Amino acid sequence: MLDFILLSSHLPSSNLPYLFAAFAVSWVVLFGYLFYVNRRQHEMKKEIARLQNVLDQTPEEE
Amino acid sequence: MANTQSMERSGGLGGFPSIKTILALITGVMMLVDLYFIFMVAPTDSVLGHVQRVFYFHVPIAIVSFLAFFVVFISSLGYLIKRTPKWDAVAHASAEVGVVFVTLALLTGIIWARPVWNTWWTWEPRLTTTMILWLIYVAYLMVRSYAPTQSKGAIYAAVVGIIGFVDVPIVYYSVVWWRSIHPSPVVGPFAQADALDGTMALVLLFSLITFLFFFTYMVAERMELRNTEEALGRIRFTLRRRGR
Repeated sequence: MLDFILLSSHLPSSNLPYLFAAFAVSWVVLFGYLFYVNRRQHEMKKEIARLQNVLDQTPEEE
Repeated sequence: MANTQSMERSGGLGGFPSIKTILALITGVMMLVDLYFIFMVAPTDSVLGHVQRVFYFHVPIAIVSFLAFFVVFISSLGYLIKRTPKWDAVAHASAEVGVVFVTLALLTGIIWARPVWNTWWTWEPRLTTTMILWLIYVAYLMVRSYAPTQSKGAIYAAVVGIIGFVDVPIVYYSVVWWRSIHPSPVVGPFAQADALDGTMALVLLFSLITFLFFFTYMVAERMELRNTEEALGRIRFTLRRRGR
């Protein structure tokens, strides 16, 4: 009778770190992009507000 | 002031949340439900085990990236014909979000490949053509950034967006036309009727709809950023004219 040795690395359960990594990478990339867009939006709106103040204090050319 | 007013308008009327906010809320709820379906409802694959659940992110992300580049294709055509900025804005936003999605398709595929194929990468048809797709749309974004003027950048990018779309059907059909280690399609014209278990198919469909909402929300965010960039450009131009 043959005895089979089941290698632990071949068990489906040993692949759980890859499952975790795939989902983690997905969240990091998706939310990282949204964070980047929102941060740029926030900085630009601050700059617009600052420049609007300067514009309001600057007389128009005749 | 008109520019900031238009931005305030996008924040909603009379205290009601904006369309973007509603979209974000719907997407968030759907994503939570999707995760529940993926981990609690979808059956475990008998051969691959739990790692097969990457499928419910990897496939919808890839499909949405194809859709993004289709939107770029149509918007680029629209811009070349009509030359209105709105077409260009949609193309630009969709291309950038599309690059995010195809990057994710590659990354999730690479991570999934390691335990299944015992390699992170192989130069087989599906992976190679997807890498080419990624390079094409990165080039699209670079053409915009490095063109001498904004209008020329829009035109050059539109040409890249139209020609580059040729690679999307090549990516899809690569597993049919050439010998490939990548699994055959489970959705689309070459998918077999019994390619997926019923529950798996439903979870995949829900995941796809969730990512479609996510894509729409991301494009809306990116378009708002572009509107803000243009408003900033206009105010700087006005100040330069006034000598400030």
